[in-house]
Amino acid sequence: MSFTSFNFFVFLAVLVVVYYVVPKKLQWVILLLASYGFYLSTGTENLAYILFTTLFTYAGAMYMQKLRDDNRAKVQAQGDDITKDQKRAMKKEVEKKVKRVQIITVVVNLGILVFVKASGFFISNLNDLFGVFHWDVSVPMVNIIAPLGLSYYTFNSIGYLLDVSHAKHDAERHLGKFALFVSFFPSIVQGPLFRYKDVGTQLAGTHAFNYDNIKFGAQLILWGVFKKLVIADRVCAISNLVFSPEFLAGEYYGSQVFFGVLAYSFQIYCDFSGGTDITRGVAQMMGIDLPVNFEQPFFATSMADFWRRWHMSLGAWMREFVFFPIMLSKPVSNLSKKARNRFGAYAGKIVPSVIAPMVVFFLIGIWHGITWQYIVNGLYNAIIISSTVALTPAYAKLAEVLRINTETFSFRLFQMLRTFGLLCISRIIVKAPSLGDAFVMIKKMFTSWDPDFIFFRDGKIFTLGVDAPQMTLLIVAIMILFVVGILRENGLKIRESLAKQHFLFRWGMVLGLLAFVLIFGVYGPGYDASAFIYGRF
Amino acid sequence: MLEKIIEILKSIRSDVDFEKEESLIDGGILDSFDIVGVVAELCEEFDITITADQLEPENFNSAKAILKLVEEILDEE
Repeated sequence: MSFTSFNFFVFLAVLVVVYYVVPKKLQWVILLLASYGFYLSTGTENLAYILFTTLFTYAGAMYMQKLRDDNRAKVQAQGDDITKDQKRAMKKEVEKKVKRVQIITVVVNLGILVFVKASGFFISNLNDLFGVFHWDVSVPMVNIIAPLGLSYYTFNSIGYLLDVSHAKHDAERHLGKFALFVSFFPSIVQGPLFRYKDVGTQLAGTHAFNYDNIKFGAQLILWGVFKKLVIADRVCAISNLVFSPEFLAGEYYGSQVFFGVLAYSFQIYCDFSGGTDITRGVAQMMGIDLPVNFEQPFFATSMADFWRRWHMSLGAWMREFVFFPIMLSKPVSNLSKKARNRFGAYAGKIVPSVIAPMVVFFLIGIWHGITWQYIVNGLYNAIIISSTVALTPAYAKLAEVLRINTETFSFRLFQMLRTFGLLCISRIIVKAPSLGDAFVMIKKMFTSWDPDFIFFRDGKIFTLGVDAPQMTLLIVAIMILFVVGILRENGLKIRESLAKQHFLFRWGMVLGLLAFVLIFGVYGPGYDASAFIYGRF
Repeated sequence: MLEKIIEILKSIRSDVDFEKEESLIDGGILDSFDIVGVVAELCEEFDITITADQLEPENFNSAKAILKLVEEILDEE
């Protein structure tokens, strides 16, 4: 059941009515039933995975909780008979056991994810290696289709286990409420990722009917559908064509590649952020506030800034559970000290700043898929971010020598365009049919441009999947997207601000957007919108 | 101790008024690299250990919040 299908909106309407009609203490039950109903509608074969993750994570967290509770009870029972040092020793012993449970439960959760996602990659590379040595053996391929939302609920579950083990909050004792945290249906398709302390408690709580939540939620859904159906599902005709093996087998220029990657940049942003808007809108209708996942990534002034604005919930997860632990780990801090003693303070600071992004972006790369293309893309991002950190003093000096005022709009614009250019390369690496194709495409972007294409001669630009009227429509839609982006970038809260406007203006805007979506959305009778790109991760 | 913490913060970002600022993390003033830099300096200066799970926004949103964290760690140690 796609988020943009008619069936989904009927499902949502029924759910909202039932959710607010039943006694409030049963709201979480309705959400759990809806979540499992939604999940089952995507295929019953997926059920075993999510049930295992739920039960295993629940049991692991409860066991950690029990270890701590038992210790606390023991300390209390002994009262003043034990010294502070003894209490400390008991706590230390328990924390050791908690750590062991933490490691086992995280490894098992991660193991399932890696097995499902990587077995094909490892087997095919192993067979290739056998081929290199002319060994007449081959490992049979295991064809496992990753269940919907596996990466998202696994990461949420791992985050939960780490938070419980770090005593950030108690384990959820109610299995049903915990099952809802793992399976909450709007976010299972493509996130956002969230922490139990932020969202789990909201899911388990009660929510009174609030007209503003329904209104703002519906507006956010409409905006998400606009991005997905009007822009992403239209502009994809260009990127699908330019990145197809058939197109790349013929003669083509860098200008077409640039046009294709520009289209793909809009496609992936509108597809992913549109899907997230729908997710957040649906949750808001139930009175549940999910984390923001995008903050105008097109206006990023560096790759690091881009990753603060794009898929922010994954960035936050990585920062919390990978980046900080690596940066503050003993081996890295020892290495940093050694570098400082040998090469000076600057080297001491730079060493951890290079290591941690390498690991984080390698993981972000393989989170998207375990293929060489994602691995190379992860490392590409890591190298750019690490080198930016390492070269910041040199850049500052250069700007001083060249007398460049870095506080001006023009410099910011230069930074945005430079970041967009770097991102285009990243997009090509993952979207091209192979790494070899990606290399040729990137090379052509720098070496061969077709002047007829660039200057719109002979209608060449309209031969790449989108004709002139469709292109006009796309330009109008993207302009709307940019205007909203600029307003948000300047701190305007669009929906809150709209609510303050005159009745006619307010409804004119909402109905106008609805009409735009209904008339120009890429769909028709019996048409199911193309699947969300991030749904497969 | 507060003056020393502000001095450390100033050494990382000289353009921020750390005496008044109360949303260093929530407001996006300090990024992840800055925070790690601050933590390294704090550990060195006060001879303490700050672990990754203590890097919560509420512990680093202001110089006073950092002071509270450092005092808590010193108390425990």
